Amino acid sequence: MTKISRRQFSGLLGAAAAGALAAPSIARGATPKVVVIGGGAGGATAARYIAKDSKGAISVSLIEPTKRYYTCFFSNLYLAGLRDYHSIGHTYDQLATNHGVNIVHDWASSVDKGARTVTLASGASLSYDRLVIAPGIDMKYDSVPGYSVEAQSKMPHAWKSGTQVQLLKAQVEAMAQGGTFIMVPPPNPYRCPPGPYERVSMIAHILKERNPTAKIIVLDPKEKFSKQALFMEGWEEHYPGMVEWLPLSIHGGITSVNPDTMEIETDLETFSADAASIVPAQKAGAIAAIAGLTDGDWCPIVPATMQSKLDENIHVLGDASVASAMPKSGFSANSQAKVAANAIRGALTGSRVFEPRFANTCWSLIGTNDGVKVGASYSAGAEKIEVVEGFISQTGEDADLRKATYEESEGWYAGITADMFS
Amino acid sequence: MRTLFSIALTLATSVSAYGAGDVEYGAYLSSECVTCHKISGSAEGIPPISGWETEAFVAVLNSYKNNERDNPTMQVIAERLDMEQMEALAAYFMSLGAEED
Repeated sequence: MTKISRRQFSGLLGAAAAGALAAPSIARGATPKVVVIGGGAGGATAARYIAKDSKGAISVSLIEPTKRYYTCFFSNLYLAGLRDYHSIGHTYDQLATNHGVNIVHDWASSVDKGARTVTLASGASLSYDRLVIAPGIDMKYDSVPGYSVEAQSKMPHAWKSGTQVQLLKAQVEAMAQGGTFIMVPPPNPYRCPPGPYERVSMIAHILKERNPTAKIIVLDPKEKFSKQALFMEGWEEHYPGMVEWLPLSIHGGITSVNPDTMEIETDLETFSADAASIVPAQKAGAIAAIAGLTDGDWCPIVPATMQSKLDENIHVLGDASVASAMPKSGFSANSQAKVAANAIRGALTGSRVFEPRFANTCWSLIGTNDGVKVGASYSAGAEKIEVVEGFISQTGEDADLRKATYEESEGWYAGITADMFS
Repeated sequence: MRTLFSIALTLATSVSAYGAGDVEYGAYLSSECVTCHKISGSAEGIPPISGWETEAFVAVLNSYKNNERDNPTMQVIAERLDMEQMEALAAYFMSLGAEED
């Protein structure tokens, strides 16, 4: 096998990039412009790395409607009362003051790919040499018959962090003694594969303390799920008899949900809930489709640079992208952002471009100090992002290891939020 | 003075035994580390990695690569790092200096 050394590789890429892409920035003025849509794990990280590493050579604007961003990751720990709400909220102030990112608190309403401009809800527009979109997910409400935007106040999906998660927490805490909580996880692919099952664990954790005769029923549209053996072992250990998981082959499918009566009808029977979380099927955040970057529900990308396969001036990060083997997670989005940032700087300023490399780890908490994880390293294949090597926690691990894994997740939270927002 | 000089010489020798890491490459590679390892401030649950000597830094990475240390996240990360990359990472994290609490 012939190997090209990394230095040769970066030299080739850098030369190609400089030749092909120096023109637009010169034509448009001295400082090339990058616009980032979405201030989550993908967008905030991309904005920070491009601004930080280009040291003023690239003008970076970040469009994000919320002034205080609540992370989806660790929102289950807030549900469980293990984290206060404030601790999962973050602002963009330091991206502006430390790295000179222009923070624009607005919605991106359209993208003109020919003119290379983004129009905002306010009517203003921003021009770009490269655009990064990291819009996360939107719900496909009609994937669950009877579910809707209105229904989400009675049966919160809480699959975007913030007020939906606060609402779900209040509803679980208000359940009658001995009541039933019903969780409907989404079908694949969706944001945070172990998330619905960590949510079940964390709701079981509060019910065990406040409402020990309550039940949890999981009506899953799938036959299996992420970290299944670990969760099922943990549910039996920490919450014996409380959690009942029913796969599609048992309940036969959800035929309707009724937020007024709190009933969920399946082929098997009609379930009555005191509180419920319905997480519908998902698709890329709306701006992705508006900008014409989707093929079906998600955005196809070129693995080596995270460029859209439909527009080479646009990079798509995180949940919205088709990242193949990589799960839709905050860690994945953060990892992809660094690959894209390196490629974008190389294209716009001729800086060195290194070989793309990706990684992910998803930690989940099953009970107090009982943490587990799954993760992998990935490389950029020609068509797909591919697994290099992976791992998963094992059933039967001792309490010390599980506690260390949980503490590691706390360290990761501090690390990734600093990597996004500081 | 002579003692200081000989210490400096010893350090220089031990560093050169590993080669001078490519700091810019290390900075790029480090982006994979700092998702979890905070560059500044105390790191709870995850140890700080700035300011280490090259020899120690490379030795620890190799011990994960050889599965002598048992954290699977680090084993997977270290598995695909070659010597050039480990030295680049060491050079970059060394350049940041030790963390302060």
